[in-house]
Amino acid sequence: MPKCVIDGREVEFSPGENLIEVAKKVGVEIPYFCYHPGLSVVAQCRMCAVEVEKMPKLQTACSTVATDGMVVKTRSERALANQKSVMEFLLINHPLDCPICDQAGECDLQDYSYEYGSPYSRYTEERRTFLDLDMGPVIVKNMNRCIHCTRCIRLGAEVLGIREMVATQRGNKTEIATIDGRPLETDYAGNYADICPVGSLLLKDFRFKKRVWFLKKTATVCEGCARGCNMDIQHDANVIYRCTPRENLEVNQYWLCDEGRFNFHYVHDADRIMEPAVRADGELKMTEFGASLDAARAALKGKKAAVLLGTDLTQEEAKLLQEFLPKYLPNASVFHFGTPGIVSEADDAPADKILKRKSKTSNLHGFEKLGFKGLKTLPTGLDAALVIRGGRATLPELKGLSTVGIGVFTREEAATFSVVLPGLTFAEKDGTIVNFQGREQHIRRAIFPAGNCKALSEILAMWAHGTGGNA
Amino acid sequence: MLLKTKESLIRRMYLVDVAKGLAITIKNFFFAPKITIQYPEERRKYSDRFRGQHYIKATNGVENCTACMLCPTVCPAECIHIVAGERPDKEKYPVQFEIDILRCCFCGMCEEACPKDAIKLSTIYEMSTESRDVYDRSFLMEQRGNK
Ligand code: SF4
Ligand code: SF4
Ligand code: SF4
Ligand code: SF4
Ligand code: FES
Repeated sequence: MPKCVIDGREVEFSPGENLIEVAKKVGVEIPYFCYHPGLSVVAQCRMCAVEVEKMPKLQTACSTVATDGMVVKTRSERALANQKSVMEFLLINHPLDCPICDQAGECDLQDYSYEYGSPYSRYTEERRTFLDLDMGPVIVKNMNRCIHCTRCIRLGAEVLGIREMVATQRGNKTEIATIDGRPLETDYAGNYADICPVGSLLLKDFRFKKRVWFLKKTATVCEGCARGCNMDIQHDANVIYRCTPRENLEVNQYWLCDEGRFNFHYVHDADRIMEPAVRADGELKMTEFGASLDAARAALKGKKAAVLLGTDLTQEEAKLLQEFLPKYLPNASVFHFGTPGIVSEADDAPADKILKRKSKTSNLHGFEKLGFKGLKTLPTGLDAALVIRGGRATLPELKGLSTVGIGVFTREEAATFSVVLPGLTFAEKDGTIVNFQGREQHIRRAIFPAGNCKALSEILAMWAHGTGGNA
Repeated sequence: MLLKTKESLIRRMYLVDVAKGLAITIKNFFFAPKITIQYPEERRKYSDRFRGQHYIKATNGVENCTACMLCPTVCPAECIHIVAGERPDKEKYPVQFEIDILRCCFCGMCEEACPKDAIKLSTIYEMSTESRDVYDRSFLMEQRGNK
């Protein structure tokens, strides 16, 4: 492998890598704003300029490909002077908004101005200000904070396949906006907030909810569709505040769709059933696990029942059910369900050109691998059903059946159910799911179960032992 | 071996020492400057930098606080709880601002961290109550301070 020298350290690199990436390998940080590994290189911000031996001028590290024998100095006098000037230039118009800016704490501009900037401003003229138009339901814009890196424009054009962000005017007056002030159209708008290095584009959903330094990250996988995008659940004190994409070049690169990003809201839904409940006098009434398990067994005993398994359950849960069902409900017919119209893995196809898949549940391919059959239409002559799902799979029409639900349901969804045993969402359990590529990925527990919700394994164990546990 | 010493009778009765001690007591009792103050009739003037009861400073009736959350971040007792919101005249403001004063250790770090000169520790030190109070926003917004 070819080698180059960065700040006196020898590094091996693969041909084609730029200096920012090569420097990262030996722990040398080159500050940058406009570069993003998932976007084209434009070398606009000039922050990353470094000194390269035998070259008369500073070179931008993002657009300079490392070559064999290259000697690079990232902290030479000229490079440092350039960083300082670029920072000063970016900050002349930048508002002192950090106290009210949601980006503070994860802001490149804030971090770099500590590291490379000057604590004083020489600028006495009036600062540029903009009036911001609404950008639709996902993103809130604040153009005063923009540093004109054009990452957002490139994201739309190159990744999302829609040129909706443009730069109007020039120079100091440059303004980033949607064409004619239209709301954003893409289903991936949340990524604008992720890639904006400053607080110009932020999530409306997360606005003022939490300061980012309080959040803890749990690395997990999105359950929004069969792709299984890697993401972090960010939470504090058992409350989820947001989800952000986690880099995985083979699955989702650096991105996440809005549906998956905001899917977590059902975990804290006020309408979610979090206590065992049994229907009495036409109404679901809260009880204990003991009483509701008895009611569940009675509802299915001697009936002609179908067992419907949501493909939002994990492999571990599916395997457990594969052992449990033949023993305890031997006459029932078992199907998996998830997305209307998607019965088997052959039906799952890309839903757009970016990430989304047609199967709106994460583990369809895992269930097929274990040999479960998909639900086309319910067999005739049924009089009972057992529905087990995570909270994402779309429930089939179950009118007229005496239904027992295990898992996550809202009161509205359980309107026809006779018993509900509350289970866990993807954020409250560990497990494995298989995506459309056949890749096994792990979901991890981020928060503790809400209310009296229990893991499926616990509920089945109580069922099998004929007990109600102690709850 | 025990040493036997022979002291005079006067010395053995400690009369001289008792008299000397009494003289010091009398001198201090009647003539020394008094340190005790007659609280609550009389009150001590503390330094302006005394760290007492909190308040949120307001300018023209609007709270200075912008809900940046730096004070709850720095507070070692974790006793400040803020919920931020938005209203037409102010982009970010504290909808709720609570100080669990029983947990507070009066370190004054919140005042020091505040970029908006909003949270202040006044010189008020009479804060005892009969219930376990939490200072809420409206209580903190009373401008009882002098800083
Ligand atoms: S964009 Fe960064 S530097 Fe600017 S106000 Fe927000 S946090 Fe501060
Ligand atoms: S809005 Fe953000 S991403 Fe877009 S150009 Fe400005 S700073 Fe860059
Ligand atoms: S004085 Fe110290 S302990 Fe009390 S609220 Fe302020 S930071 Fe917290
Ligand atoms: S530090 Fe000051 S401005 Fe920030 S939340 Fe506390 S009181 Fe408000
Ligand atoms: S990152 Fe290289 S010029 Fe912006």
